[in-house]
Amino acid sequence: MKKKIMALVLAMAMVVGATACGGADKAGSTKAGSDTTAVSESANGNTVVVAIGGGFDTLDPGQVYEKYPQMIINACYENLFKFYSNDGEAEPCLADTYELSEDGLTLTIKLKEDVTFASGNKLTSKDVVFSLNRTKNLKGNPSFIADTIGSVEAVDDYTVKINLTQPDSAITSKLCYSAMAILDSEVVKENGGTDEEDAAKKDSAQSYLDSTSAGSGKYILTSYTPDSEIVLEKNEKYWGESTNVDKYVIKIQDDANTQMMTLSSGDIDIAANMTADTMDELKGTDGIKLLNNTTKTVSFLMMNMDEKIGGPVSDTKVQQAIRYALDYKGIQKICGEGTTTPYSIIQAGFFGSLGERTTDYQDVDKAKELLKEAGYEKGFDIDLTVCDLAMEGIALTDLAQKVKSDLAEVGINVNIVSNAWAAGYGDDYRDGKLGFTVMYWGIDYNDPNVQLEFLPGGVVGLRAGWTAESDPEIAALYSKAVNALTTQEREAALKEVQEATYEYGPFIMLAQAACPMAYNDRLDNVEFSDPYTVDLTQVTVK
Amino acid sequence: MERLKFIGKRLLYLVIMLFGVATLVFILTKLIPGDPVTANLSQRALSDESIVAAYKAKYGLDKPLIVQYLLYIKSLVTFDLGTSIRTNNAVLDELQRCYPATIELALLSIIIATVLGIFFGVISAIKRNSIIDQIVRAISVTGVSLPSFWFALLMLFFFYYKLKVFPGPGRLSTSFSAPATVTGLYVLDSLLEGDFPKALDAFSHLILPSLVLAAFTMGLITRTTRSNLLDVMSTDYIRTAKAKGLNQTKLIIHHALGNALIPVLTVIGLGLGNLLGGMVLVETIFNWPGVGQFAYQSVMSNDFPSIIGVALLIAINYMVINTIVDILYGIIDPRVRLS
Repeated sequence: MKKKIMALVLAMAMVVGATACGGADKAGSTKAGSDTTAVSESANGNTVVVAIGGGFDTLDPGQVYEKYPQMIINACYENLFKFYSNDGEAEPCLADTYELSEDGLTLTIKLKEDVTFASGNKLTSKDVVFSLNRTKNLKGNPSFIADTIGSVEAVDDYTVKINLTQPDSAITSKLCYSAMAILDSEVVKENGGTDEEDAAKKDSAQSYLDSTSAGSGKYILTSYTPDSEIVLEKNEKYWGESTNVDKYVIKIQDDANTQMMTLSSGDIDIAANMTADTMDELKGTDGIKLLNNTTKTVSFLMMNMDEKIGGPVSDTKVQQAIRYALDYKGIQKICGEGTTTPYSIIQAGFFGSLGERTTDYQDVDKAKELLKEAGYEKGFDIDLTVCDLAMEGIALTDLAQKVKSDLAEVGINVNIVSNAWAAGYGDDYRDGKLGFTVMYWGIDYNDPNVQLEFLPGGVVGLRAGWTAESDPEIAALYSKAVNALTTQEREAALKEVQEATYEYGPFIMLAQAACPMAYNDRLDNVEFSDPYTVDLTQVTVK
Repeated sequence: MERLKFIGKRLLYLVIMLFGVATLVFILTKLIPGDPVTANLSQRALSDESIVAAYKAKYGLDKPLIVQYLLYIKSLVTFDLGTSIRTNNAVLDELQRCYPATIELALLSIIIATVLGIFFGVISAIKRNSIIDQIVRAISVTGVSLPSFWFALLMLFFFYYKLKVFPGPGRLSTSFSAPATVTGLYVLDSLLEGDFPKALDAFSHLILPSLVLAAFTMGLITRTTRSNLLDVMSTDYIRTAKAKGLNQTKLIIHHALGNALIPVLTVIGLGLGNLLGGMVLVETIFNWPGVGQFAYQSVMSNDFPSIIGVALLIAINYMVINTIVDILYGIIDPRVRLS
């Protein structure tokens, strides 16, 4: 009996051992016991494996607004315009030529005539009309992007006229956004899609568009397992020039440690959701390249202008005192390499940005003086509400702790109150009920106009109780920047916006986060991109 | 006949219990602070009243609570668990997608936990108070008290990252495509496809997360087996058997273990029920698309149809497992009557 049991145990051990080694071989991790200073050889060939973070539930262009789906939509669909480089402006993609009328109210676009969808259908102006109307009428998360679009007309098969309700200096940037991707209208309609005004009720194409794509991009979505994996395969009918990447397997790996390990082991090629700690672990590893570009995601301190809600922090002198009290250099250190602090509400890197706030802006004496002037010589006690969200891997609670310790230096005693976003914080934030909070803002579309929402009467401004009536001159800058018809006018208006909010208002921009990423050096053209995180249509295998 | 009557009675209880669970979870999801609209719409969309109104109308959130509840119960009667507010897919489809991944993991975990747990428990009881007993007890206490997410990271770090003996996160290596869905269990589906290397690969991906999940249940089984076996070994009939000269192995396997296993079966049943409910952190670290991750995302989105769906699934799991365990009691010990 003993012998039989022993034999059984040994047999099981052998099966497990053989299976384990077999599995590791397939995964491309063949160097048993090798050191960590060199990446294991990738067995992926012309398949590129990318690890991203999660938190999204659909790949329907008319519904997506989160960070990572933009990467997928950009690979499978194309827009009228596109950001080909991170620092550049929106350039024509499906548009061949375009013209904006003198009053800024009509954008006429001539389409490229040789574009076909993955289905083989030709891309014409009816597809453009369908796609833009569908996004607007779905009344989904990204529908606001079409707010200034009054109507879209197909002048002929390859000419589209977009009529705006007001001049919109960001219109070409907005047309780059994933929700403005051009869909194969015939295929989408066959699968329940509609662009009619009642699309919010009647469109049922989401489940189809979650299983495959209907675009003209370089890749086709062939499988999507929520919270797990997305597979993109090369569009053999692509009308333009393809790269040598045949397939993308996109793994949803929320944990940065897991991404670090899978990248080192050669199982993935791009880790797009890293943290400062895991980047440190990879420093000096042969075969792995690190990227630490500054994003346009920004964290900020919000002080409610309504005295009943904000209490002492609604006083503009106290707000300025807090601005002086903060240690911006220390905040950047907490957020990691690549972080910066914007000059005011428009992030560094945007068109018209005045760049960064100097890191030696902190002046504790001036802060104390201002508090004295405001009648708070001995400081005061205040609650700082913070939620469970993180900005590019940086927990907002960490930033709140730093604010607390900085403000203690000037006598402000901060009590941190934590609340989950989904358990009430989100409602309070939206309804402008928070007096003093740390929050973050990821840009909706890649244009400085997105930041105008921080002005009085804007979406974020109102959350801080900053009404247009309370500061009409600053509020007027919103329309001035949006309606600007020339580049010079726009630049001047954006400059005014930044000067007006540099030392005034309920918002203090704490940090413009970096996006730590790492990739296997068998790849070329892996570059950080604000709108797409990584533009997969440009990546190549060496 | 007695067994059929017993199962029929249990089924009736199950229906009543599911109704109760659905009602309770519905009330709880409405009582907790937070709004599915806030949780699912973007900051910009929330500022547009027409978008908020369209969203509420789409998921029936604009109706009075009692109407929402009655509509939900009405659809439940027709086996329709509703539409997920988060993903816009049928909750039943979502559960069908993620449940097989959890079943596959839970089954291997419970097998590992049971085999090792009983083995260690028996060894520990036989070698009572010896150094082996001390080591086994230390292992079982460690297994019970290890935080699973930390243990998961540790296992990945050593066995995948450093030693490279096991594959990394996920259900399959990139070189394989997912097998055509028959059962949703990748090992079985790959075998049904006749693709043995794929089945082997899928099995190898199961080992590390299964070991992590097995640690806790194994600790419990070891301790329960040990204490019950010691109790049984001190009974009169075992002493009589010993006095008659029966050898130790035969005595334990044929006479003592059967009786000692009844409470162990309860622990195994509870362990399996627990595992089938999904393990959020381990699933996240191992990139395993199971019920745990789905439940977590649903809670974070205040997606009440999905939350109720998961709660019902967990209730069914426990009910079915308890029924099976009760039947097994009778098989192991004929003195136990199902009634």
